[in-house]
Amino acid sequence: MIAVEGLTKAYGSRLALDHVSFEVPEREIFGFVGPNGAGKTTTLRILAALLEPTGGRAFIDGADVTREREKVHTRIGYMPDFFGVYDQLSVGEYLDFYAACYRQPKQRRQKIVDDLLALVGMTERKGQLVDTLSRGLKQRVCLARALVHDPAVLLLDEPASGLDPRARVEMREILKELQRMGKTIVISSHILPELTELCTMVGIIDHGRMRATGSVRDVIARLTSGRRLRITVIAEKDAAIEILEPLPAVKHVQAVNGTIEAEYEGDEVTASEILATLTGAGIRVSSFTPIDGGLEDAFLRATSEEVG
Amino acid sequence: MNPIARTLWNPIVAKEYRSRMRTWRSPLTITIHVIVLGGIGWAVFSAIANSVAGFGSSGGGVSPSSMGILLFTFLILFQIVLLAFITPALTSGAISGERERQTIDLLFVTPLAPFSIIWGKLLASMSFVVLLLVLSVPIFSLVFLFGGIELDQVVAAFALTAVTAMTLGFVGVAFSTFFKRTLAATVASYGAAFVILVGSPGFGLLFPTEYDARSAVVPAPPALALISPVVPLLVIASGQPVSTYGTRASVDSQLQLSKGAGNGACVGLPNGGVSCSSNGGFSGYSSGTGTASPGTTLHTGFLAGLQYWQASIVMQLMICVVALALSALLLPPIRRFGWRRNRAAAAQPA
Repeated sequence: MIAVEGLTKAYGSRLALDHVSFEVPEREIFGFVGPNGAGKTTTLRILAALLEPTGGRAFIDGADVTREREKVHTRIGYMPDFFGVYDQLSVGEYLDFYAACYRQPKQRRQKIVDDLLALVGMTERKGQLVDTLSRGLKQRVCLARALVHDPAVLLLDEPASGLDPRARVEMREILKELQRMGKTIVISSHILPELTELCTMVGIIDHGRMRATGSVRDVIARLTSGRRLRITVIAEKDAAIEILEPLPAVKHVQAVNGTIEAEYEGDEVTASEILATLTGAGIRVSSFTPIDGGLEDAFLRATSEEVG
Repeated sequence: MNPIARTLWNPIVAKEYRSRMRTWRSPLTITIHVIVLGGIGWAVFSAIANSVAGFGSSGGGVSPSSMGILLFTFLILFQIVLLAFITPALTSGAISGERERQTIDLLFVTPLAPFSIIWGKLLASMSFVVLLLVLSVPIFSLVFLFGGIELDQVVAAFALTAVTAMTLGFVGVAFSTFFKRTLAATVASYGAAFVILVGSPGFGLLFPTEYDARSAVVPAPPALALISPVVPLLVIASGQPVSTYGTRASVDSQLQLSKGAGNGACVGLPNGGVSCSSNGGFSGYSSGTGTASPGTTLHTGFLAGLQYWQASIVMQLMICVVALALSALLLPPIRRFGWRRNRAAAAQPA
């Protein structure tokens, strides 16, 4: 549904995007993760045909974002990282205005507005002026606005930023519902635990370069799982550390809250050899667990080192 | 709805109408416009009535028709001044305001064409100006109590006023598209309004059309001097040219005329001009130089045959077209200029 190939964007001599590539199949929720200034918004603006790339190509449902802007605009719903609301318009009028901009027939617009307000749980706010809504409610209206023409793809730039925990949960539920409705969603966010729960795919970008991309499980596994161990021993913690530190596969060992965390290079066989070394030396190991660091850990690793 | 109708009447127009008329600024602007214009009319009327003796009598005083002309002249010029203040304020934030509110990207991702966005903004602003003009009609109707002004003069003056407001509006939107900030766009728009209204007549004073004093016809002022509605409006109101504005008899021709006339006399002036007098049979309000009175029609150039106000309208419409085209070109976030495409292509990775 979305294909990005070697996307590059330069502002003068500064590269905001450096050959970014990824793909998002239909009906997936793609989490776009990166620190501030990493290039997330630039990528989304290029995908929304609001910015011309310096190099590379991007396609939305087969439409080239640089050559077929009109087609792209009919296929995407774009929600920028700001509200963009007008004074003096009620919620219903605001949505009706955008529905008219998307050339929805006048006789259908009322139903579209009512359906969208029901979807985002704001039916009772239809007559309220948009500018008087809270931040969370404005975000919901903006999401509804992005849906007025029933696009296949949603590009959401930081939709949960600044929301309180309840509003975040509600936003997450709405997005899951949209996925069930068949939408393909690209969502950039800083709130990583949220993305782990919500997204089926993830891309980690830093300094304009895509560090890792794929399914959430794969990316986490690739960047974290199997490389760190949490070892609990009975009584002989210092002795266990002394045994682990000289091992060639072990890169780093530290005591954490009564347990030992060991970072190593290798696979499951290497882990079993480490366990055998410990037990062979007479250390009584009560638990030996690979640490699954989750998306946050993967993000920290991806953005702190060069991924080859 | 066909594409042309959809472009001309798009959702932005309705949205702008709704937003504009819900604020306190619109009724306040309308009220101030009508009060100021009405106040000007009353003040002019009172001043004339107080300064002349025997108003309405047949001898000695100002005739009612002259009073009507004077009142009309003041009203139409002040209306232009008021619109020169109001129109840039209406339009200079049209696009830059969208940028500042961060709503412009949301319009760019809709199927609305840049021209539609610009046109919607202009139509909404210009409709408000038309509303102001319509509301001023009752004040102008007072002129007919005195006479001296015909309906066709009022229609011509209103048409020129409306086109002038439109020009200021189009220029305001162009600056609003060009500048990112509304403040810069507003300053530039008022600057442009000043150039159009004051700079253009100033051009006529600085660079008048030279003519042969022996010619039977005095030429019109330079066309650029007529972009401003001020001189054409004075001409409409008075029904005759504004003295010798924008024209100057060449020195040589005046000297030769004086020799030829025999009993005439020319005197060199310190500013380089020549003042001549003639005892010949020529009559004309303008100079007494022995030439015929200039008309109110352009004789040369592509505007030949048009009256001053018509020429002003044509030139202003040309400015509107240029401003509209520039706005539509500058507005899109991705501009399809050839040189940009070439540069982007050059930057493509191998």
